Amino acid sequence: MPDYVIRVRRSTSWIVVLVVLVVIGAIFIANRAAPVASNGSSVAVSLKVVPTIRSVTVSPGTASFSNCTGGSTGADTASTATELGYPNGQCWEGTPGAAGSFPITITYNGPPGLVYVNGSNAIPSAGGIQWGLCNSAAACTGPGGLPGVNQYMVKIFGRGSDNSTELTGTQTCDQQFDPGGGCGSAASGSSQTEGIQLIGPESSGNTSSSWTVTITWAAAPLGS
Amino acid sequence: MRGWVRHLRRLLVVLLAVPVALVALASFSPWSEASVGVGVQVGPVSLGSAAHPGASYALPPVYVVNTGTQAEAISARVERLTRGPGRVVPPSWIQFTGPDVQLAPGKAARLPLELVVPSLAKPGGYLSDIVVTGSAVGSSGMANLGVAAATKLEFQVSPIPAQGLSPSFPLWTWLVIAGLLLLAFAVFGVRRSGLRIRVERHNAYRGATHRLGGPRA
Repeated sequence: MPDYVIRVRRSTSWIVVLVVLVVIGAIFIANRAAPVASNGSSVAVSLKVVPTIRSVTVSPGTASFSNCTGGSTGADTASTATELGYPNGQCWEGTPGAAGSFPITITYNGPPGLVYVNGSNAIPSAGGIQWGLCNSAAACTGPGGLPGVNQYMVKIFGRGSDNSTELTGTQTCDQQFDPGGGCGSAASGSSQTEGIQLIGPESSGNTSSSWTVTITWAAAPLGS
Repeated sequence: MRGWVRHLRRLLVVLLAVPVALVALASFSPWSEASVGVGVQVGPVSLGSAAHPGASYALPPVYVVNTGTQAEAISARVERLTRGPGRVVPPSWIQFTGPDVQLAPGKAARLPLELVVPSLAKPGGYLSDIVVTGSAVGSSGMANLGVAAATKLEFQVSPIPAQGLSPSFPLWTWLVIAGLLLLAFAVFGVRRSGLRIRVERHNAYRGATHRLGGPRA
């Protein structure tokens, strides 16, 4: 008979540590979950948050030119009320000046930002040669800085401002949103009413009788 | 008397008919109150960590909403509008991976983007804008008035190429490594929990017990 006994025991120290941790965790959770005593009344508090969307809205979505003038009567290419003549006839959407009309409304929403505007080529309905957009600062090749062959010019004008903005194919600040005629920031909800002037080409290499131009306003962050 | 009543009826009919006709005309005219509008998230589109040359990354999708009153076709492009430090993002690096988007008035969508960094991309910060354009279908002979909204696009490109960063092991390799690590951790845990062996000798002559102690397994 052996005079000794072998006893094997699992160390219990780590179990004790685990139990202690679980207890501490349970106490912590119980304290956090404890409801605050209430007398049953409540207070509704309204909260305003900063806008998280930057947008621009233009009304209406399309415009029709009218009040067309200019062109050559002798060459039988003078403008009619709704048709652009050659050379360098002009058409209007709205009329400039203090007593003018400004049928297009541009509305900016969002945090303070900038409103840009740009033009594009005029697209003939029948396809083929397009009219390129030019401005007085660059590339207008007609007489007196007017559009040359297959060129045209677009200006936008606004109420209460003598400044008109000549459009280019790239983003240009819409100066109507800045009283100083510069590139100031637009506040949320601010809107401008504007009109469009279009000056046609000296002559056209495309016989299409219907053309479409696109003018795009863009909302952009400050620092642009 | 009858003639006067008849005349009054006619007058009433005219007075009622004119405003009703005007209201009907205004409600059926497609361009009377139509507007085009587009909005985009204010928060910039950015990558959480530096991009590596030669790798592709899914950028957070851009939130776009139609703020106009007519359905619009939505398109997006990359253009540098924002001033400031940072290289211009080449438009070819950003791919708009989703289908063409048509949005009804007031509806929103998220445009998925993917950043594809060429292997020869220069390291440093990049800054441009995501410009989202909304356009309604216009008629020929008109001036289409379009809208756009921009939000910043910014990310960093690391000088370390993607190949040198993570070996291209197959997935099963990573799973085996993870399994081995887990097994090693379990063995270590069991050993640390310990089995204490105690040997006790009963001294028959003295009636005492000599504890010989025991090693910890």
